[in-house]
Amino acid sequence: MADDLTSNIGNENEILLGIRNLTRIYTMGEVRVRALNNVTFNIKRGEFAAIMGKSGSGKSTLLHQLGLLDTPTSGEINIGGIDILKLSESEKAKFRLERFGYVFQEYALLPELTALENVFLPAMARGRKKEDYLKTGTKTLEQVGLGARLHHRPREMSGGEQQRVAIARALINDPDILFADEPTANLDSASSRQILQLFQKLNREIGLTVLMVTHEPEDRKYVSRVIWLKDGELAEKEGISEAGNLQIAKD
Amino acid sequence: MLTDLNLSLFLAYKSITKGNKGTLVLTIFIMSLIFVNLVFTASIFLGLGNTVNNQVINTLYGNIALEPKKDEKYISDIRSLEQKINSVPGVTGISSQYVIGAAFSYKDKSGAWAIRSINPDDEKTVTIIHNFMIDGEYLSKLDTDEIILGKEIPGGYGGDLEHLSLGGVKIGESVDVLFNNGVKRSYRVKGVFDVNFQQSNNLAYISQNEMESVLGFNDTASLILIKTAETGNEEIYIKKLLELGIKEEIKPWTVYAAMVKNITKSFDMIALLIAVIGLFVASVTIFIIIYVNTISKRRQIGILRAIGIKENIIIHSYIVQAMFYAISGTIIGLFIMFLILKPWFIEHPLKFPIGYVSLLIVPEKVSINTISLIAAALAAGLIPSWMAVRETILEAIWGD
Ligand SMILES: Nc1ncnc2c1ncn2[C@@H]1O[C@H](COP(=O)(O)OP(=O)(O)OP(=O)(O)O)[C@@H](O)[C@H]1O
Ligand SMILES: [Mg+2]
Repeated sequence: MADDLTSNIGNENEILLGIRNLTRIYTMGEVRVRALNNVTFNIKRGEFAAIMGKSGSGKSTLLHQLGLLDTPTSGEINIGGIDILKLSESEKAKFRLERFGYVFQEYALLPELTALENVFLPAMARGRKKEDYLKTGTKTLEQVGLGARLHHRPREMSGGEQQRVAIARALINDPDILFADEPTANLDSASSRQILQLFQKLNREIGLTVLMVTHEPEDRKYVSRVIWLKDGELAEKEGISEAGNLQIAKD
Repeated sequence: MLTDLNLSLFLAYKSITKGNKGTLVLTIFIMSLIFVNLVFTASIFLGLGNTVNNQVINTLYGNIALEPKKDEKYISDIRSLEQKINSVPGVTGISSQYVIGAAFSYKDKSGAWAIRSINPDDEKTVTIIHNFMIDGEYLSKLDTDEIILGKEIPGGYGGDLEHLSLGGVKIGESVDVLFNNGVKRSYRVKGVFDVNFQQSNNLAYISQNEMESVLGFNDTASLILIKTAETGNEEIYIKKLLELGIKEEIKPWTVYAAMVKNITKSFDMIALLIAVIGLFVASVTIFIIIYVNTISKRRQIGILRAIGIKENIIIHSYIVQAMFYAISGTIIGLFIMFLILKPWFIEHPLKFPIGYVSLLIVPEKVSINTISLIAAALAAGLIPSWMAVRETILEAIWGD
């Protein structure tokens, strides 16, 4: 399996995300919830990593911090030597548009747009030419197996199809990393399998880095690494994933 | 920049065309009703004022009236004065009158009214009273022992002040008249008129010949009414009359209307109040409609932000949507106003105590209302979307 990583585009040992002492404390009136406590680890380019742990262990919180959807209380997230937490809001938005892809548990598509329009929206926002984003959008939808659903609106598609549209949308700007928070939680097992196999295929074939929250123990067989969380901290558990290269950055 | 604008328009366009049709139709429908309501209210009040003005001109004073010089009781030498006035281009009618107070009595009833004396043929060139006889006939030049009465005087014609009337004088019956100068005469009622204007319906008319015999002098008048080809250029005519060396007091109809308007003045204030409140309510309503619309898109706004769409693009797309609602509503409202309500009211003017009132749609009012509605819509599109991009992305998507 390690061969898969070395076959990835880019430097196989390149650290894509360097996470240092990440802490997120939610304050609700008097109560302070330490949802993430001093988390430090790296994500390498080409990894397909799962974040696992009990409900409330901080998985979503971690993903939101890394995806720049939320602001941590303290810590650093380094990409290419810069701490992206120091960026301004509009620079963060640009970062999300150009370098990150998101797949949420709910399909999170715009109901008024067709599958194709939902997918090309981020490309359009980048200022790409119309023929270009139409072509890339179509190609990306074909890539996720939805070449026959280009002009369907979200409500005319099954949950699994909608989730694949969301994946295509996440892919269109060639992101460095794709974040997915329980992307299969609302799907039946067949659709779930399809989604996970798609991630695996994208990871292997185009070297896409994927960071996925899941609570299904079985999902481990698709990933190259598991990051365990317990009470907001990295936990050592079960040692090694099926992929065989578990790296927990906890000393 | 162009990309951003493109994207805003794209999102707005999709939201309008592919969003909920019911909401779209309802929103635009409410917008157009709000617009119609505003313009209608303004127009009916303006129509009311316009009717008063027309009544003052057409049944009381003409466009311009001459009154005696200061310290004089009468205008003298009216034949030559009339000739001078007639020489002004655009003057279409002149009527010299005496106006005098008198006490009327009939059977056991009595009351005080003003009598105007006229040369009926001259009077017809200025006022329209001859067209509004509801009983009997109009005066003719040679009538000396005959009188025509406004509908408030005889009683039995449905006047507004029936209790002050003579209690039911019929055509052909006589009324006794005691003029202010002490002369007493008896006149046969020849006709009753109703011009739908109380001030005018409180007047009685006798012939100029008869009045001269009552007063004992001729070639004089106490009031000369002048009708001009168009209304609104009175100042120009007054200047020309002054250039002719006329020394009498020259007053445009607006001076008299102002007096009549003491009644309608409070009414102008009500109109203004209603306009201001109406505009406020309309703005708030529009704001709420668009606000609710936008708030319901909060999650979508969150998703757009999450995938990296710039906040400005999102805000602009909601402003475009709001503008679309406002402009469509206004256009439909204009259609309703100009193609349905206006023609209908021309055909079926409302009968008010001051006369028949139709809509007077003034471009300025229409513009003010249009601009206000669009401004309200602008704020309504801006504020909620601005608030939605102010909250955190996670709140927008998952918050409640
Ligand atoms: N907005 C918030 N305000 C306050 N506390 C929060 C907030 N979001 C999460 N928390 C708390 O932070 C902790 C971690 O939450 P998080 O959603 O990251 O858990 P999770 O591992 O994703 O759980 P699940 O598997 O149920 O999705 C929990 O104790 C949760 O109650
Ligand atoms: Mg979660």
